[in-house]
Amino acid sequence: MSDTKLMIRFFTVADYEEEEIWLRQNHKNGWKLVKTVPPCFYVFESCAPEDVVYRLDYKNNTENSDYFQLFQDYGWEYFNRCMGWLFFRKPVSETDTEQDAEIFSDDVSRIDMVDHIVRTRMLPLLIIFFCCVMPNFIRSLNESTSFADLFTILFALLFLLYLYLFLHCGLRLRRLRRKYSKRP
Amino acid sequence: MDNKIRRIYVPMTESGFYILYCLQQPQHGYGIGQRVKQMTGGELVISAGTMYGTLSKMEKDGLIAFVREEEKRKLYQITSLGAKILELEIHRIERLYKNSRGENVNE
Repeated sequence: MSDTKLMIRFFTVADYEEEEIWLRQNHKNGWKLVKTVPPCFYVFESCAPEDVVYRLDYKNNTENSDYFQLFQDYGWEYFNRCMGWLFFRKPVSETDTEQDAEIFSDDVSRIDMVDHIVRTRMLPLLIIFFCCVMPNFIRSLNESTSFADLFTILFALLFLLYLYLFLHCGLRLRRLRRKYSKRP
Repeated sequence: MDNKIRRIYVPMTESGFYILYCLQQPQHGYGIGQRVKQMTGGELVISAGTMYGTLSKMEKDGLIAFVREEEKRKLYQITSLGAKILELEIHRIERLYKNSRGENVNE
């Protein structure tokens, strides 16, 4: 039986390029990813060290049955699904050209994916923030019982967490979008 | 023709053009990719995600339609709307080509 190990690492929706590099590095070190458990758990299995490209596609469960067949035809192994993301890998030895190791061949489709993330992940989060987190935070500030103080702290923490995630994801997605649209 | 569709697709991406062009005959995604590679001498490669995304968008916009399934693969073919768009695009590319050679276009 092969060894397994659990690793904890947090990647936001805007960090998929870093996640791909990290997974490739792990496979090079003899650990291949088996599955992920939200929000930040990665289960690895020991394997022969190999240079394997990892690619993440965000489909938010809109893909049809043809999708997996197409990726399989292109030589991609599909092995995991997590929060709308689909995980693929392919050994570098099976790629002839640089494009064989990519799931997107033009920047229009890369930008489409970023926009899809913004539309289905960032916007709902923004609505929850303005309709739920912020009003509760403000309301709890106006109440003065000790019970309410606990909520104030709780909502303050939530408020800060949200703010951090917004700034981080928003700026990163904008940077990715710019990178893709500036390329020749 | 719908002006919105025309605005989106004329001009279209290089991958979009080749996909629409190949779908004058029924074909599935991977088959289109292989054909384009061969037609362009390997200069244009369309990856899986780009292929899937373009096919779904074109199907949604009515430029292509699902015809049948063959060995778990969906076969698509161009529609009359798609053919009109393709014609406009070919006309535009011909003008570009002629002008790039220093020729004028006589309408």
